[in-house]
Amino acid sequence: MDVATPLGTMVVAVKPLARRRSHLAGCRIGVLDNSKPNADVLLGRVADLLVARAGAGEVRRWRKPGASRPAANLDEIAAAVDVVLTGSAD
Amino acid sequence: MPAVVLGTHPFANLGRTAAQALGRPHLPLVVVAHPIGGVASAAVAGRAEAIVDDVIAALTRDPAPPATSAGAGAAVLTAPDDLDAFQEFALAQGWGDGLPVLPPTPERVRRILAERRGADVVATLPPRQGVATLEAVAANAALAGAGPEHLPVIVAAVRAVTDARFNLEAIQTTTHPCTPLVIVNGPIARRLGVSGGANALGQGHRANAVIGRALRLTLQNVGGASPGLVDRATLGHAGKFTYCLAENEAESPWEPLHVERGFPAGTSCLTVCGSEAPHNVNDHGSTSADGVLCALAGTAATTGSNNIYLGGEPLVLLGPEHARTIAASGWSKRDLKRAFWERARVRLGAFGPENVERFATIDPARFRQRAPDDTVALALTLDDVMVVVAGGPGKHSAIIPTFGATRSVTVRIEE
Repeated sequence: MDVATPLGTMVVAVKPLARRRSHLAGCRIGVLDNSKPNADVLLGRVADLLVARAGAGEVRRWRKPGASRPAANLDEIAAAVDVVLTGSAD
Repeated sequence: MPAVVLGTHPFANLGRTAAQALGRPHLPLVVVAHPIGGVASAAVAGRAEAIVDDVIAALTRDPAPPATSAGAGAAVLTAPDDLDAFQEFALAQGWGDGLPVLPPTPERVRRILAERRGADVVATLPPRQGVATLEAVAANAALAGAGPEHLPVIVAAVRAVTDARFNLEAIQTTTHPCTPLVIVNGPIARRLGVSGGANALGQGHRANAVIGRALRLTLQNVGGASPGLVDRATLGHAGKFTYCLAENEAESPWEPLHVERGFPAGTSCLTVCGSEAPHNVNDHGSTSADGVLCALAGTAATTGSNNIYLGGEPLVLLGPEHARTIAASGWSKRDLKRAFWERARVRLGAFGPENVERFATIDPARFRQRAPDDTVALALTLDDVMVVVAGGPGKHSAIIPTFGATRSVTVRIEE
């Protein structure tokens, strides 16, 4: 028998990602902590390693007040750094 | 700006779904060993060492762009004629909830739609950003066993949960067990047989069952919140099959919820709340409002609630007999809210110190530098306490904690 799909429709055009530089030397690293336990430790340690091993420049840190809503200050972050590390869920 | 997302393995599908919904399926996701929470800092730092090369690669190499994708596949599929075989088919497609479903045949969908235009869009549902046309909602209503008379309520519920204040994307994907509880007010409840009386949150009421189930299937199928993959609920609860009741307006001593929220008394409305399962409140002894408040507040004041540190609106689902006892003491609904807000409080010393520290990073004003005997309320203000009268005879009420990072939404039901 024929059945109608219960999935609805979905049209999502693929959008481009920001172009990457070939190296991180001198890049300002942004850390956006999603407030999940130990996100600050993990993201922060990765950022510190980017400085130590890939020659990245300063690290700036922001924290969302909770993981359940988008950050309100994305424009501020985008203006202040060159790359961003963030976490998703737990 | 170049970004990389870090996520642990059990949540990788969720991350990819979110990236796809944003039109960037090729956004780099670096997977980390799970869990990160509850692990000593030194071990977490070790995991950072293990992934840093992948992070550097993600930030210095442009990923290959994926093929452009459009549409969700065929609008009509061929399914087995045999109803039993159809159950296996539906499960394999990921359409069902584990209970038997009715085939969404074009005839059944047309009957549910009645005179409505199937192509009309009701909402876009996260996290997949699937477009819920009336036809898609009707197809999910068909799976759920609903009829054309239920469609206006289901459509209103879909609209309500997509109000930004509800925070549907978080509720669809969280590890918390929350799911939309649908509370129906007004004349449509009696006309459709949506029960607000005995066993209203249990089995046996067709309208309650199919309306709640159709909403859940729509959110799962159109929104893409497949259990265990994108819907990350650690345990969930049975309300994720269906969670719908009417307010027992006939037996409430106070104004109903929709009137409290500014809708005229004769209109049909519904409210959606991102809710846990009910926690029962047994009080067979109290003959005064103060007495019942002891039972309500004591049941509600737990250390495991999201409301404690995330705010939101805890729900008091008051059985009619408890409601009458409270009203007989001369209390208004707002008197009840005030007393509940003042008395349903938890000592900070009852929480483990690591949780107090975690709460303090999220809400420093309420949790930082407080003494163990200081208490915190379950809601930020007394007006955030929701009170609804429901149930049949008996000396039971219920407390329903909510997700916290969500606001309930009340909408009119358009027929």
